[in-house]
Amino acid sequence: MSTLTRTRRKQTSPFDAARIPQRGGGKLGYWLYFIPGAILVGVVIFYPIVRNLRLSFFHWRGGRAEESFAGLDNWSALFQDAEFLRSFLNIFLVIIAMVIVPTLMGLLIAAALFDVVGRRFGGKLSSLLRATYYLPQILPIAVAGVMFSWILKPNDDGVLNQLLSTITGNEVTVNWLGGQYSTAIVSTMVLMIWIQLGYPIVIFMAALQRVEPELYEAAELDGANWFHRFRAITLPMIRPEVFVVALTTTIAALKVFAPVFILTKGGPSKSTYVPSFYAYQEFVKGVDKGYAATIASAITIVVFIVAVIFIKAQTRAERKDA
Amino acid sequence: MKYRKHILAATIAVSALTLGACSSGSSDPTADPTSGTPAAGDYAGKTLKVLHYEGDESAMGKAWNLAIDMFEEQTGATVDLQTTSFEDLNASAEQLFDSSDAPDVSEYNKGNGTAGQLASIGVIQNLDDAYAKYGWADKLGAGIDTIAKYDDNGVMGSGSFYGVPNYGEFVFLYFNQDMFDEYGIEVPTDEAGLEAAMQAFVDNGVTPLTTSAQEYPMGQLWYQLALSQADRQWVNDYELYESPVNWQGPEVSYATETLDSWLDQGYISSDVSGMTAEDAGLQFINGEVPMFYSGSWWYGRMLSDVTTFEVGITNWPGTTLTPGSGGNIWVIPVESKEPELASLFIDITMSPEVQALLGESGGLPVAANTDDITDPNAQALIGLFNEVNERDGLSFYPDWPTPTFYGDLNGVMQGLVNGTYAPEQAQAELESYYEDYVSTVR
Repeated sequence: MSTLTRTRRKQTSPFDAARIPQRGGGKLGYWLYFIPGAILVGVVIFYPIVRNLRLSFFHWRGGRAEESFAGLDNWSALFQDAEFLRSFLNIFLVIIAMVIVPTLMGLLIAAALFDVVGRRFGGKLSSLLRATYYLPQILPIAVAGVMFSWILKPNDDGVLNQLLSTITGNEVTVNWLGGQYSTAIVSTMVLMIWIQLGYPIVIFMAALQRVEPELYEAAELDGANWFHRFRAITLPMIRPEVFVVALTTTIAALKVFAPVFILTKGGPSKSTYVPSFYAYQEFVKGVDKGYAATIASAITIVVFIVAVIFIKAQTRAERKDA
Repeated sequence: MKYRKHILAATIAVSALTLGACSSGSSDPTADPTSGTPAAGDYAGKTLKVLHYEGDESAMGKAWNLAIDMFEEQTGATVDLQTTSFEDLNASAEQLFDSSDAPDVSEYNKGNGTAGQLASIGVIQNLDDAYAKYGWADKLGAGIDTIAKYDDNGVMGSGSFYGVPNYGEFVFLYFNQDMFDEYGIEVPTDEAGLEAAMQAFVDNGVTPLTTSAQEYPMGQLWYQLALSQADRQWVNDYELYESPVNWQGPEVSYATETLDSWLDQGYISSDVSGMTAEDAGLQFINGEVPMFYSGSWWYGRMLSDVTTFEVGITNWPGTTLTPGSGGNIWVIPVESKEPELASLFIDITMSPEVQALLGESGGLPVAANTDDITDPNAQALIGLFNEVNERDGLSFYPDWPTPTFYGDLNGVMQGLVNGTYAPEQAQAELESYYEDYVSTVR
């Protein structure tokens, strides 16, 4: 391997060398391009994270009030805080709604659009359908939230209640968002799935463009049905994209805020709290910003760990393939 | 949020007490252009950045536009008016007021958890000197000025002045006169009458009372029921932490148990746990329910939006104490570049002209001459407010005791509606939320 690299280097023309600076060579150019980005990332990302982490060891009322050192007070309070633990349990349901269901459905729909709709009815129809699935992603979430709360109104003004009344013939008045934890969390999950679905579909369909059509044709000649082709060709070919989608949506799920804020405001009786919403509530309304920072830091740490695990798993899978 | 009301903001009336106080004395330096008021041009070239969150057509919006014109004319300075929403400012004021983008003078929500919090962390300026200079304290009635003063912990009622209220507000019963007439039901004057009226509506298949447990209305109803059994000392204990509140005592038990039984009897629909204040207000405006218990901030909206029936207003039957207080206050952020001009502007908002316009437009001015107000709807509201003030009834709001009690109370109300909490459990939950914070400042 090393011999090969050395040989290649020797062969590199001076023109290529100028375009792709070697490690160790052209140091000035390297730092010139590196520093602005590093400063930006440092100021916008690392400084706030460090500041926030530091604040989690203090009690602070905010504004010009004095900070007082709290040691591990906030952290030990966090692990005994029933509201925080409940908010974290909700994250598992959010992961189902934002990662698992959209990724699985996204795979099936992308494969169906590409392989079935695209081939039988033409690329235009499948592009149109793809755009339709993607629409909720570009719709501002405030608009989606207003629309959903209008659909889910608790009395007979609610569109869903009216629909169910028409179907069943009885007056249905389910208090979707305010009545029970189960209906409130499921309603929120449906909103999340609806918003999230378009993202994996678009990514997976783009990935499928890479797959040689001959592969499908050959498989078809060999008598493979749609499901066989999906399992043997589609899935292995787009595995890197599946990793990326799972990673990015998991991170989004851990940080989720807006759907809860807009639909239930954490209710009924704080049962649909998620950690980011809880951190927001504590930061805006609470008297101890240090505690809010502790919640936020806990989320950051979990996101970091999850990202590392994902990336490790992906690298291992790629190595196995290679 | 009980605050949302300020955005809807349509409204309000006048304290008889404060009106009396004002009409008699004219110590206001801006009232007489020849004494003490700066000559035009004194501040020429300067700009005053004013921030508020009232609609242009609301009583406050109209009055403050007049104040801006008067200010510019009197000082020669220009006003840079910026408007925002209550929610935005509520979430950002701590940072904004302590930054170089801070407005020079801003409207802000009164109460322990809001203005009190900002005062205690040093983000808004102490106004004791300005109060002494302009004599604002003489204009504010006793129930009104409580919300202008905060102590070191941000608890209202004592300590230094940090804000200036321009108007008052309170909570009462809106009713649909046409529906009462249709079913031949009398408008109630006592609590027994109220229950009888609600039962009569239920017998006719109509849900009598709407509210919202997702936002402020049901918490205020709960508080009103507790107040109907309480005295002033209980309010001082609850709001000012003078001594511990008995959460299983007669006042709180009455409120939770009454709501529980009203829910059982169908006086209030269990849908309310999924409804916002806006949803509840619309149910009333659309003529679907005959009664809605909410604040004077809805009044302007009721007058303009209700077209199909006659809206009646009455104080809650059978109570001395009523939720209500001075309205939102003017504060001067710590980073204000023109604190002196800011106080001058505040003083102009307290002038008789501005206050009269506020009242005439449906608000409850704190320093107007009653004779200046002629509109019958404005007079009706002011009359109701005077009743409350005559019995020294203003008792603030249920969510003021702690910064997070608003969400806590709504959560417990939702639990009560959904049957997650029995009344005693609801009380125990509220107690733990309340004590969690209050025990640290009492």
